[in-house]
Amino acid sequence: MPQFNLYQEEFPPSPLQVTWQEFKLNHIAVIGLYCLIFFVVLAVLGPFLAPFDPLQQHIDSLLIPPSWEPSGGIVHLFGTDGLGRDILSRVIYGCRMTFGISILLVLLALLIGVALGAVAGMSRGLRSSFVNHLLDSLMAIPTLLIAIIIIAILGTGLVNSMWAITLALVPKFIHQTRDFVRNEVRKEYVMAAKLDGASKRQLFFNSILPNMGEMLVVQGTFALSIAILDISALGFLNLGAQAPTPELGAMLYKGIEVAYIAPWNIALPGAAIFLMIVSINLVGDGLRSALRSRLLHS
Amino acid sequence: MGNFVLRQFNLLVLTLFVLSLFSFSLAYLFPGDPLTNLTGIAGSEQADYQLLNDAFHMQGNVLQQYFYYLGALFKGDWGISFSSGLPLTNEISRTLAASIELSTYAFIFSFSLGIPLGFIAGLRHYKITDNVLLSVSVIGYSIPVFWLALIVILLFSLQLGWFPLSGRISLLFDVPLKTGFILFDILLSDLPDKQEAFYDALRHLILPTLSIAIVTTAIVLRITRRSVIETMNSEFIQAAYARGLTSRQVLQHHGIANALIPILPVLTMQFTTLLTNAMIVEIIFSWPGIGNWLIQAIYQRDYPAIRAGMLAVSSLVVILNMSINIAIRLIDPTRGRLEHATI
Repeated sequence: MPQFNLYQEEFPPSPLQVTWQEFKLNHIAVIGLYCLIFFVVLAVLGPFLAPFDPLQQHIDSLLIPPSWEPSGGIVHLFGTDGLGRDILSRVIYGCRMTFGISILLVLLALLIGVALGAVAGMSRGLRSSFVNHLLDSLMAIPTLLIAIIIIAILGTGLVNSMWAITLALVPKFIHQTRDFVRNEVRKEYVMAAKLDGASKRQLFFNSILPNMGEMLVVQGTFALSIAILDISALGFLNLGAQAPTPELGAMLYKGIEVAYIAPWNIALPGAAIFLMIVSINLVGDGLRSALRSRLLHS
Repeated sequence: MGNFVLRQFNLLVLTLFVLSLFSFSLAYLFPGDPLTNLTGIAGSEQADYQLLNDAFHMQGNVLQQYFYYLGALFKGDWGISFSSGLPLTNEISRTLAASIELSTYAFIFSFSLGIPLGFIAGLRHYKITDNVLLSVSVIGYSIPVFWLALIVILLFSLQLGWFPLSGRISLLFDVPLKTGFILFDILLSDLPDKQEAFYDALRHLILPTLSIAIVTTAIVLRITRRSVIETMNSEFIQAAYARGLTSRQVLQHHGIANALIPILPVLTMQFTTLLTNAMIVEIIFSWPGIGNWLIQAIYQRDYPAIRAGMLAVSSLVVILNMSINIAIRLIDPTRGRLEHATI
């Protein structure tokens, strides 16, 4: 006889587990997740994986094609650029730089945006409505344009472009947080906490914030893809990272000079950016539809 | 309705006020002396400097300076570019028209392709057609637009030689500037070889338009698809089927309008994204638009140009959005607050 079970206990899966189960059903999203993990590993272990120093110039081997071309060699797997730098190493370091910086920027923007959005969402009255409306109409201006303007003030450079993109990402987070908080405040569980005498601060940190996690993760992934696009776009426009830095956008910009004789100089860094954004978007989409179907099924 | 328009208008004035305030303060935010930033004349002992000091009301307080600046803006005096020495009003209206032209064609293209495809995907959802379209669209909206433009140039201009590499029209044609939109200018002009010029301009347009439009098409497709799925699952559609209408009739009379109206604002919002992408692509294709011009201004530290260009582009975006809001409200009075884009 199987083990005696006195209480017919059921263990309903937690919301997080349900989300993961729904997410697993979407195979493409899981592939995206593996791809994303690959990039995270690349970003963390980059220096150990790269065969050469990204700035080292091999003067005797300029513009060597990638190894799959007939005239390519095995020493430089992705070929070399006009100064004889190994492109594989540069792409690895570039992923590390572009991806790592973008994650940093998104986290910073998220922190600022959620703080301001919470204040805006919890407050009432003329002043808050004034600020909110102004924010809405300013949000219509695309992030890259805001970033370009901020760069014009601060001057070009990687650090300045990082500040610019952080500032440009903040309004979206403020907006999302504010709308979310507004909706939640009306719900009954918040009302119950309020009737128990919770202060506004406690309401936010104990009742609303725990429910916001999923929304923030989904928004964060989309902000991450925007951040990667923008930071490489600024690098490409020569407003962000400057020439010798192995940043993917800046590498593309330098690659134009030799685009005709050495197209792999623009194809490979661009493909790296593209793969990164595809995997992030796939994971973001998968997460969102997993959350949606969790709400439908339960 | 009147109340709504009034509120939107108020908000517009307020936003433009903030933008003008910001662009005014740019003279102080840029590194260096504000007057030098505005005029390019350095050194306070020069006679010109004193003259300009008076002209810009620099000795007055900040408020006076701001009102003088606002007055000058309304008079159409936006300052003079360092690099070209031309009045910025002319330069901006010329380059902005070129950008708007490019974005408009791309916008029309992505709408006329994205919405039908979105309907096809939405009506056959979770089948092979839908999955293929969805995967293609994920690729479409993940491509960095500058990389796409470079690849397109490499493939179609350099390898195959089908389309010209850069510019707006071959230098052989001298089209007089009237509206700023090259295709209309050609049609309005009295060039002897009008038809050739028109075809040449079209050939120049194709690559930049395509490289901008692909991203927007993918986004339009996804938004339309989601809305179609939600609409076709709703109860009034079931009711229509229950009354014995064919699926064609259901789609025509109930499906299309109800699926499109709620997403119209989100779709039209994409124009601003398109404009930013256009600004990047212009640089690659040497299209004489506002993006190309603004980036050159930043390289050359042409402060009056940055200031005026920034004001022009951001005002354009804000005004466009407001007019879209009002137009949407006219079409569909039931909707309340505007929703923001979800793909």
